[in-house]
Amino acid sequence: MSPRPHLPPTMIAGPTGADERAAGAGMDPRAVRVGVAPPTRLEGDPAFSLAPPPDPALLLAGDADTATDLPLVDGIPADVRLHRFDEVRGRVEQVEGGIVKRTDVLFGPPRPDRQRGAEVREVVVDGWRIEVEVEPERRALLRERARRSAGAASRGGPLEVRAIIPGRVVVVSVRAGDAVEAGQQILVVEAMKMQNELRAPREGIVERVGVAVGDTIEIGDLLVVIH
Amino acid sequence: MPAAQPHVPAAQPHVPAARPGSGPMTPPFRRVLVANRGEIALRIIRACHEMGMEAVAVYSDADAAAAHVRAADAAVRLGPPPPAESYLRIDAVIEAALASGSEAVHPGYGFLSEREAFARAVEEAGLAWVGPPPDVIATLGDKLAARRTARAVGVPHVPGTLEPAPVDRPGEVDAVVAAAREVGFPLLVKAAAGGGGRGMRRVVSEDELPAALLAGSREAASAFGDGAVYLEREIMPARHVEVQLLGDAAGDVVAIGERDCSMQRRHQKLIEEAPAPGLTETERRRLHAMAVRMGSAAGLRNAATCEFLYDGDGAFWFLEVNTRLQVEHPVTELVAGMDIVQEQLRLAAGRPLSARARAAADRAARPTSHAIELRISAEDPARVFAPTPGRITRWRMPSGPGVRVDTAVEAGDRVPPHYDPLIAKLIVHAEDRAAAIARLRRAVAEAEVGGIQTTLPFHRAMLGEPGFVDATSLATTWVDAHWDGARARAAAVRTAALAAGLAALAGDRASESGSAPRGPGTAEAGQPADPPPAWRTDGRALAADRWPA
Repeated sequence: MSPRPHLPPTMIAGPTGADERAAGAGMDPRAVRVGVAPPTRLEGDPAFSLAPPPDPALLLAGDADTATDLPLVDGIPADVRLHRFDEVRGRVEQVEGGIVKRTDVLFGPPRPDRQRGAEVREVVVDGWRIEVEVEPERRALLRERARRSAGAASRGGPLEVRAIIPGRVVVVSVRAGDAVEAGQQILVVEAMKMQNELRAPREGIVERVGVAVGDTIEIGDLLVVIH
Repeated sequence: MPAAQPHVPAAQPHVPAARPGSGPMTPPFRRVLVANRGEIALRIIRACHEMGMEAVAVYSDADAAAAHVRAADAAVRLGPPPPAESYLRIDAVIEAALASGSEAVHPGYGFLSEREAFARAVEEAGLAWVGPPPDVIATLGDKLAARRTARAVGVPHVPGTLEPAPVDRPGEVDAVVAAAREVGFPLLVKAAAGGGGRGMRRVVSEDELPAALLAGSREAASAFGDGAVYLEREIMPARHVEVQLLGDAAGDVVAIGERDCSMQRRHQKLIEEAPAPGLTETERRRLHAMAVRMGSAAGLRNAATCEFLYDGDGAFWFLEVNTRLQVEHPVTELVAGMDIVQEQLRLAAGRPLSARARAAADRAARPTSHAIELRISAEDPARVFAPTPGRITRWRMPSGPGVRVDTAVEAGDRVPPHYDPLIAKLIVHAEDRAAAIARLRRAVAEAEVGGIQTTLPFHRAMLGEPGFVDATSLATTWVDAHWDGARARAAAVRTAALAAGLAALAGDRASESGSAPRGPGTAEAGQPADPPPAWRTDGRALAADRWPA
C-alpha cells in the first residue's frame, strides 16, 4: 500500500472558494468529520476527517498510486477497522508498528443534533464515555469557513460561564458590574453533598448573573456573563 | 406532610424461620428498619433476609422505585429528594420504624448513622439501635472528643487542636491564627462531626485560614448539621490504615483486621484493601492493640472503625473513629471469613461476639488472603471527579470466581444528584495481593457502563500503575499529585472517534424511518424520527455531478 497522502482536506478547501460546490469539489462525498461533542469535549480533544477507502472505479488515471483498501484519516491511510458484534458492541483493531491493538467499544444509538446538522452518539472506550459528533466533511468545511469570516467580529465578546455540573447554588460571590480576575470565585455549587467552587475563567466585568442562591442548576445552564 | 405512611405491599412475604427459643441460630429480630438508600441499604436488607428477618425500607421521592425499596418487605416514604427533607429526618424515620412494627434500626453509613441524637431517639422509642451506643457516638464520633480520648489512653494522635475553632466569633481570629502557627502549615481544617472529607480544607498559609474556616464550617453544617471545625497537622506522605472493631454488651472489644485506604482523592477513598500491604505481624499486633484500647476506653459496642495515618517512619497516628459500618467493610468480610452486618444485628440484640468473630480476631495479625475494593462512582475522572448524575443506559457488572459486586443500580435507573455518587463497589478476593490485582484487571475489563461517566477508567489505569501494583506509592496524596485524567483519556478519545466515524461510514445513521438500530435502555431517545439527512442525497448528487453518466 502507499503511504502517500490522498487529497488532504486542507488542500481541497481553497481559502478563497466562495461557492458551496467548490468547497466539496474533489473530495470523497462520503467523507465525515469526527470530533468530540460539547457535553464531553475537553480542550485539546482531536477532530479529524475520515473517508472510506477510495473507490477504485472512481479514481482518475493519475490517482493510481493512491489506491488503498484502508480508510483515510485526514487523507492518510490508517490501518484501523471496526468489527461490529451487534448494534451496541464493537471492537476496533488498530495496527501500530506491526502490533495489533484491539479495543472493545460500546455504542449508544446515533441521534441527530439538529442545531449543528451533525449526528452525535455515545461511545464508551475503556470506561471513558465519549460523545462523538459525526458530520459530513463538506458541511464541516463550510461551517468552518463561515466561522472564520465571522470570527473577527466576535473576538473579545462576552464570555458565558455555563454549569458543568448539576447541583444547587449555595453562594453567589459576584454581582452585575463587579470586576473579576481570572480564577476568582464566582459561585459555590453544592452537588452530591460536596461544595464546588466555580471560578472566573478570565478577567472582566460581570455583565449578568443568571442564578441566585438556592437555585437548582443543570449542566449547560447559563450562570454568569463576563464582558 | 404525612411522613410515615407504610406503603408497598409485601410482594414476596418473607416468612421468618420458626423461632424456638433463642439459640445462636434464631433471628435476633423479627423486623428491621433500614434507614438508608443505595447499595448499603440493599446490603443490609440482604443480611436480614438471609437471617430470616423482615426488612423495612425508607425512601425519598427520588428513590420510590429504587432497588432497596423493591427488595424490602415494606417501604415507607420519608419526603422529597433533598436529604434534609427525607433521609436526614429523624422524626420521620422513627415514625416509619414504629408504624411498620420494626424492632431495630440499622442506619448504614452516611446520613444519620453517626448522629448521637438519632441513636438516642431510636432507643427512646423502644427500638434496638444497630450501632455503637449513643454516648459512644458522642465520645468517639466527635473527632475532637476522640482525640482527647486517644491522649487519655496513650494512643498517639495527629498533632493539632483539641477544641473547636471559634468560627462565628470574628474577635477571636488571632487566637486561631496563633493555634495554627503552633500546629504548623500546611494544615487541615476538619469538621468535628465530619467524614469523607466534607468540611475539610487544606490551608497552606495564615491568610488563607479565615476563609478556609468559614468554608469548611459551612460545608460541615450543610453535610452534618454541625459546623464545628478544628485544626490538624497534615502528615505527608502517609498511608491511611484503619482497624475494624467489634464489641459486645459484655465489654469485649476485638479487632478483626486492618484495611489500607490510601488511594484517595481529596479525602474520598477510591480503592481499599485488606490486609494493609507490607505490615509485619508485629506491626499488625501493635496497630490492632491500639485500636482495641481506643474502643475499650470508650465502651464500644457493635461495630466501629479506628483510623490511623501510617507515616514513612513506620509510626501510626490516631486519626478518628467512625462509629458505624464502613463503605469498605466487604474487604474485611472476605479476608476474615465473616459477615459483619449479620454480626452487627446479633450484637444489637445483646448477644455475645460470635465464635466466628473471635476466631477471625485471633487470626487477624496473620492474614492468609487478600481483598481489594474499587469504588465505582458517578464522577468524571477527567474533570476533577465532578459528579455526573444522570440516566444509566447500560450496566453490566463483572462476575466469576472471587468477584463480589455490591450495587443497587441497573440499566434505566437515574442516579439522582442529591446523594453520594457511589453507585457500586467491585470487590475481589484472592490468595494474595498479586492474584487479587490480576483478578481485578479481568473484572474491570468485564464491566460495561453507559449513559453516565464513572470512575472505572481511573481504576483501570491504577491497575496498570507500577507504584500501585507493587504498593510502593500507597499514599493519601498520590492521586491528587499524579492523576492526570485528561492524559489517561486521550487514547480512548481517538479510538471512540474512529469507532463512531467507521460506524457512520458503514451506514449507521440516526433513525431515519424509525427502524434504525437502537441500543438497549434508550428510554430518553424517544423523540420522533428525523427526516433523512439532506447531506446524504447531496453527496450522491455531488458524485453524479463529478462523474456524469
